[in-house]
Amino acid sequence: MTAITMGDDPGGQMVDMTVFTGERSMAGYRLNKLSASLIDPDNRAEFLVDEHAYCRRFELTAEETKLVIDRDWTGMVAAGGNVYVFLKIAATVGSNLLEVGAEMRGETLDQFMATRPPQAGSG
Amino acid sequence: MGQIVGGIGVSHAPSLARAYDQDKRDDPEWRDIFESYKPAAAWLEALQPDALVMVYNDHVNQFFFDAYPTFALGVAEIFAQADEGWGKRALPDLRGDTRLGWHIARSLVADEFDPTICQEMVVDHGVYSILPFLMAPPWETPIVPLAVNVIQHPLPTARRCFDIGAAIGRSVASYDDARVVVMATGGMSHQLHGPDFGHVNPDWDNEFLDLLESDPAVLCELDHSEYMRRGGAESIEVIMWLAMRGALGSAVRNIHRAYFAPMLTGYGLVCFEPG
Repeated sequence: MTAITMGDDPGGQMVDMTVFTGERSMAGYRLNKLSASLIDPDNRAEFLVDEHAYCRRFELTAEETKLVIDRDWTGMVAAGGNVYVFLKIAATVGSNLLEVGAEMRGETLDQFMATRPPQAGSG
Repeated sequence: MGQIVGGIGVSHAPSLARAYDQDKRDDPEWRDIFESYKPAAAWLEALQPDALVMVYNDHVNQFFFDAYPTFALGVAEIFAQADEGWGKRALPDLRGDTRLGWHIARSLVADEFDPTICQEMVVDHGVYSILPFLMAPPWETPIVPLAVNVIQHPLPTARRCFDIGAAIGRSVASYDDARVVVMATGGMSHQLHGPDFGHVNPDWDNEFLDLLESDPAVLCELDHSEYMRRGGAESIEVIMWLAMRGALGSAVRNIHRAYFAPMLTGYGLVCFEPG
């Protein structure tokens, strides 16, 4: 058997992560259901007309509704939202993965882009 | 008897879809990446496969958490492109190979693997972001898609992914005379949530590529947590590459390999032939 080296360095970087477990999926079920519904263009249009009404349709709590209205991606992760799913909210409101990611890092988009290799592309 | 004539492991990423749609082939940031797919595309064309088995993951576009299958095998005449929230891209639907699909379904279940069988299935960027680079649309070669849960834990183990690939290899061997390529997609290192959004680990990704070719048993023994702490939580997708490796048998020849990590995700590519 080949020895694996990478990541076994105790000085190596630890990655801060929120693993999407069954328990988190249950906690975020309504929020994720709303987000996933946005694969339908008619639903996207309905969402954009009245976000609060759309959140009521999916029976979101007041706290969950606030996360949606505020585009609080960090809060969504904490509430059981899954990034692949809440990205559909970002898509619906004209945002994208880079902007969502910068927010979760507590950075502006420009600050985040400055952390990427100089030859970095658009995503 | 059928033959697995090649295997491809490759990263999928929405950024690749955008680069393709915006035709960034001459953009200095993308030129080398676009070029790296060309030898793979030429090799794949020369192989003249009769079908592609496509191991990938759905990003909550076909399946939702009301019923999320661990393995889902698509058996349909047509697989439409998913609208992931941004609208569909200007690409055709994919053709399915129902005869091979049902054959694989029967042999997997007989072999004690129990996928959900799907007669309607939309396919998302897990396939669509990378396929145009490797095969020019419209796609004549039919596919049999196998979607793997790499999103909602508990996930299948790395070993299980390798083993289901080996079972697909046995299934193809018991089919009639057909040339089949197994392709597995999945981002290498990447983390898409939280304060470490953007984590990539090129050293680990390259070590994975080495081991995938020479000693996949080591990779089969790694826990999900070991993958995730090296490559980030979302990098667990890379265990799907083991299904491709499992389908190819004990030894492989490397035909082409490339790796870039320009932004959010390790873009890896390997092309193997059996033996």
